[in-house]
Amino acid sequence: MSHVVEVTPEPGEAPTAPEPHRAPRPSETWRLRWHGVRTVVALELRQRVRSARWRVALGAWFVVCGLVTWLTFQASAQIVGPGYVGYADYDTDDGFGSSLDVTFHVPRGPLIFGLIVFFVLLAGFLVAPTLSAGAINGDRDAGTLATLQVTLLSPAEIAIGKLLAGWAAAVAFLVVALPFVIVSLAAGGVRVVSLAVTLVLLVVLLGVVCAIGLGFSALVSRTTASALLTYLTVLALTVGTVILFALTFPLITQTDDVPTYESSAVDGASCTWTTETTSRAHTERTWWLLAANPFVVVADAAPAAPAAARYGVPDPLGAIRDGVREARNGPAAREDWCGDASVAETKGSTAPVWPWGLGVDLLLGVGAVWLTVRRLRIPQGTLPRGTRVA
Amino acid sequence: MSRADASPPAPPAPLPDRTGSPGDATSDGIVAVGVRRSFGSVRAVDSITFTARPGRVTALVGPNGAGKTTLLLMLAGLLVPDAGTIRVAGHDPVTENVGVRAGTGWMPDTFGTWDSLTAREVLVTVGAAYFLGADQARKRADELLRTVHLDDLADAPARVLSRGQKQRLGLARALVHDPRVLLLDEPASGLDPRSRVDLRVLLRRLASEGRTVLVSSHVLTELDELADDAVFVSHGRTVRESSLASATGERRTWRLRALDPAVLTAWLEDTGVSFRRAADAASDEPGLSTAPDDGSVHVDLDDDESAAGLVRAAVLAGVPLVSVAPANGALEQVYLSLEEERR
Repeated sequence: MSHVVEVTPEPGEAPTAPEPHRAPRPSETWRLRWHGVRTVVALELRQRVRSARWRVALGAWFVVCGLVTWLTFQASAQIVGPGYVGYADYDTDDGFGSSLDVTFHVPRGPLIFGLIVFFVLLAGFLVAPTLSAGAINGDRDAGTLATLQVTLLSPAEIAIGKLLAGWAAAVAFLVVALPFVIVSLAAGGVRVVSLAVTLVLLVVLLGVVCAIGLGFSALVSRTTASALLTYLTVLALTVGTVILFALTFPLITQTDDVPTYESSAVDGASCTWTTETTSRAHTERTWWLLAANPFVVVADAAPAAPAAARYGVPDPLGAIRDGVREARNGPAAREDWCGDASVAETKGSTAPVWPWGLGVDLLLGVGAVWLTVRRLRIPQGTLPRGTRVA
Repeated sequence: MSRADASPPAPPAPLPDRTGSPGDATSDGIVAVGVRRSFGSVRAVDSITFTARPGRVTALVGPNGAGKTTLLLMLAGLLVPDAGTIRVAGHDPVTENVGVRAGTGWMPDTFGTWDSLTAREVLVTVGAAYFLGADQARKRADELLRTVHLDDLADAPARVLSRGQKQRLGLARALVHDPRVLLLDEPASGLDPRSRVDLRVLLRRLASEGRTVLVSSHVLTELDELADDAVFVSHGRTVRESSLASATGERRTWRLRALDPAVLTAWLEDTGVSFRRAADAASDEPGLSTAPDDGSVHVDLDDDESAAGLVRAAVLAGVPLVSVAPANGALEQVYLSLEEERR
């Protein structure tokens, strides 16, 4: 019987010198096939839907939404309901003096709609990170990520599939809340087109948050860390932008020489142009901070009702819309303190700011997905600290 | 101990149509040359060079932490080697990753499962991930569930499977796309004796179909009856690469037992064969198989032929021999001799 020892490498000998890093073709990394994406989505959803937790969460969410809607109706009735005397009453003879309990119907819809939409958006932002922030590192912990990576699925298919599954789950929360959003239409004053636009934006923004969660889950190894980072990012977008906008006021406040149309100091009756030196905040330099705020995006995008119909109607979305568009205009070039409509500087453009904000948010989401795909490429060169491949 | 006896009868499986000449490790097997990989300052794989040929089961043997798992990750196309070249199923895992993935079945040492999916769904999903058609994936899943004897648990959630059952499911998962190369990391851990036998039969069959099977383990007895070739790694290096046939031609320890131990020891002393009591050896050499003291003795013999000669002489001399067998498996013997070389 032969005594075959085929190879016995010399210890200490390095057979080949280190080579420059070779990488797989990008076309394989970014390859997107519907079958592949569908496979990942089906896998993710199947795992999620079967857990009892998920059904309990949706049920609880339905109850909470119902409760909030009911409270909103109650509260709005207190504010604008029966008993509220509209401004118009004083201008009409038949209303004035004849009866003390004159009511003028102010639509409560915009208020209810705004509150419910913001509540749903806020809750969605709290839920979405939990749906996606463990998608990659959680699977890595469970030892199921590499199992998927060695199949013929491309990194892009895995990333997009996981994003769509998390997104679909987040949208399920939105769907459960939908009846209550629609109920607010019954209170009047909200157009169906506003509802449609708002819903589309809610869906898109939830997708952005899911993508951010996915990105962090690919970036850090611990699921708690990725969830935390996602919440911090959401917090930065929703609250941080407003705080930053406020904090920049000293920086953008400057003393301007403003042509001002005001009562003449001489006779007090006629108005003349003078130059006033006033301190004004030039928010046209910082409005974009507000624009990136998802709440602003939603509020600004809903088409406004005609100005006449909005007068005196409490409308949180409308107030935000007007406020942020005003901020974008900044202070007027000339000011009219006389109230003479012929001289008054017409307000600047009232162009919507939401496309900018949505663009920024979408960029964040797309960037997160891009990062995820890059982190899912195999073979892996460097491993994130504290992780194993399988 | 010849390989033909040890391997179970292979079912007459039709040889799949394979490109390249059969037995060509470059196109159908695994060729690794000077593979190296570090994690930070830890050099997990230092220099591993070996070849695994189609139609054969190759054992990757080494102690815990020798770099076996890291090596398999590189072979499966999950990790970039720092240096060295690899060809698996005719492709380079770094530049032609998809090609390697298409032709390779990898079974990790820890098989994470998608908890709420059933065994069948796991296999159908993996089939879909390999872009099999829906019908094809279902058919393949049923086939594999029968192969690994999980058909009665096919519709149970994967999380209720025992460790051994999960292990078998993991093996089925690695086979979904009918790979030409199989990379199995500790496939027998957690398996009951029946499943181990099944695994051995299955892997022999897969090899007889012309596939390359690489099995890593540190349980040597498990590999002994399974592998054709063995690659010994230690501290991230190939310390030896050999066929098991050569391992049986080595000087090794035999265990002899007679009805009356006194007669056996007296005869051994007369003939001048040096021996030691097995019960003593158990405490001196922890690697050797241990048993209660039944009067067995250990004798070091050059090869199988000298063993045959010794048996013939003993029987002729009237020694009531009951059993003569290697004291430990061929792999274990080589492994221990390597350990000794290192000291």
